Amino acid sequence: MSLSKCIDQYTILTGDRSKIKDIMVNRLIECGWRDEVRLVCRDVLLQRGSSKSIPIEQLIPEVTARARTLVPDAVKKELLMKIRSILSQENAEDKADGDGDGDGESDD
Amino acid sequence: MPNSNQVSSLGATSATGVQATTVQNLTAAGIASNFREIIKDQKGLDEAANYLYQTLLDDAVAGIFIETHHLRKTGNLSALDGVGEDNASAYRIVETPNLDIFGISTTKKAIDCTCPNCDRLVAAARFAPHLEKCMGMGRISHRIASRRLATKEGSSAASSYLQSGGATGGTDDEDDVDWSSDKRKKKTTQNSRNNGSKKNNGKTF
Repeated sequence: MSLSKCIDQYTILTGDRSKIKDIMVNRLIECGWRDEVRLVCRDVLLQRGSSKSIPIEQLIPEVTARARTLVPDAVKKELLMKIRSILSQENAEDKADGDGDGDGESDD
Repeated sequence: MPNSNQVSSLGATSATGVQATTVQNLTAAGIASNFREIIKDQKGLDEAANYLYQTLLDDAVAGIFIETHHLRKTGNLSALDGVGEDNASAYRIVETPNLDIFGISTTKKAIDCTCPNCDRLVAAARFAPHLEKCMGMGRISHRIASRRLATKEGSSAASSYLQSGGATGGTDDEDDVDWSSDKRKKKTTQNSRNNGSKKNNGKTF
C-alpha cells in the first residue's frame, strides 16, 4: 500500500504520471485497443438490458479484466519499458542534482 | 532536508519485503526520497512500473466504459452505427429535381371543394370567400343584399334619401364601388359616403 501511495505521489508531483498516461493512451489508440474495448463495453451494456444497469460500477471490473487481456504483448512490453526508463531517469537526475548541490534541495 | 521526521510504519507488508519505509510528511523532498528508496533495487523498480501500468490502464478502461455508457444513455450509440444499407431503401434521400427530399412532388395539387350551397367546384384557397358571397352571410354581401332590397321596396323614397346626401351617384354605382374597392378601403369610409345622413344606411328594419 505504501509503495503504491509513494509511487503515485511522486509521479504526480513530477508530472510524470500525466506524461506516461498520454504516451500510453496514444499507443493504445494506435494499436486499436480502444475500439476493441469500446465494443466490449457495448456488448456488456447491451447484454445487461436497458433498465437494470444501475450497478454500473460493478460492471467496470468485468470490462477491465477483459480489457487487460486485449492489450497486445508488444505494446505492453514497450509501455513497461518506457515507464521503467522514465522512473529511473527521474531517479538518476535527482541523484545527480543531490550530489552536486549539497543544500539546494529545499523545495519548501 | 526536512526537519520533522515522522516514522510511521504503515503496515509494511508489501510483496517485495521493503522494510518499514520512513514515510515522512508530505514535503516534496520527503516524497522524492521515499521514491528513491523504492527505486533503488531492481525489484522495486519492476513493481513500481507494473503498478503504474495497471493503474493507468484501469483509468483508461474506466474512461472508455463511462463514455460508452453515456452514449448509450443519450441514445447516440445506435446513431454511431448508422442505418444499415438494406433497410435504408425506405429512407434514402431523394435528389431528383422536381421532388423534395422525401420524394413528394412539390407542385401544389389542386384540391377542389364542392360548395354545399351552389354545388360548384371551388378551389380550396378560394372556398371561404366564395361561401361568404354565396350564402350571403358575410359582412359585405349582407350589406349589399339588404341595400338592394331596400331600394327595391321603397324605390323612390329610399333612393332619394341615399342620393340626396351622397355625391357618388346611383345605387348601382355604389354597388360597383363596394365590390371592387372593398379590399382597399375600410368599411367606415363606405359608411360615411352619405355625408352624414345616417338614416336608412343600407339596413332594413
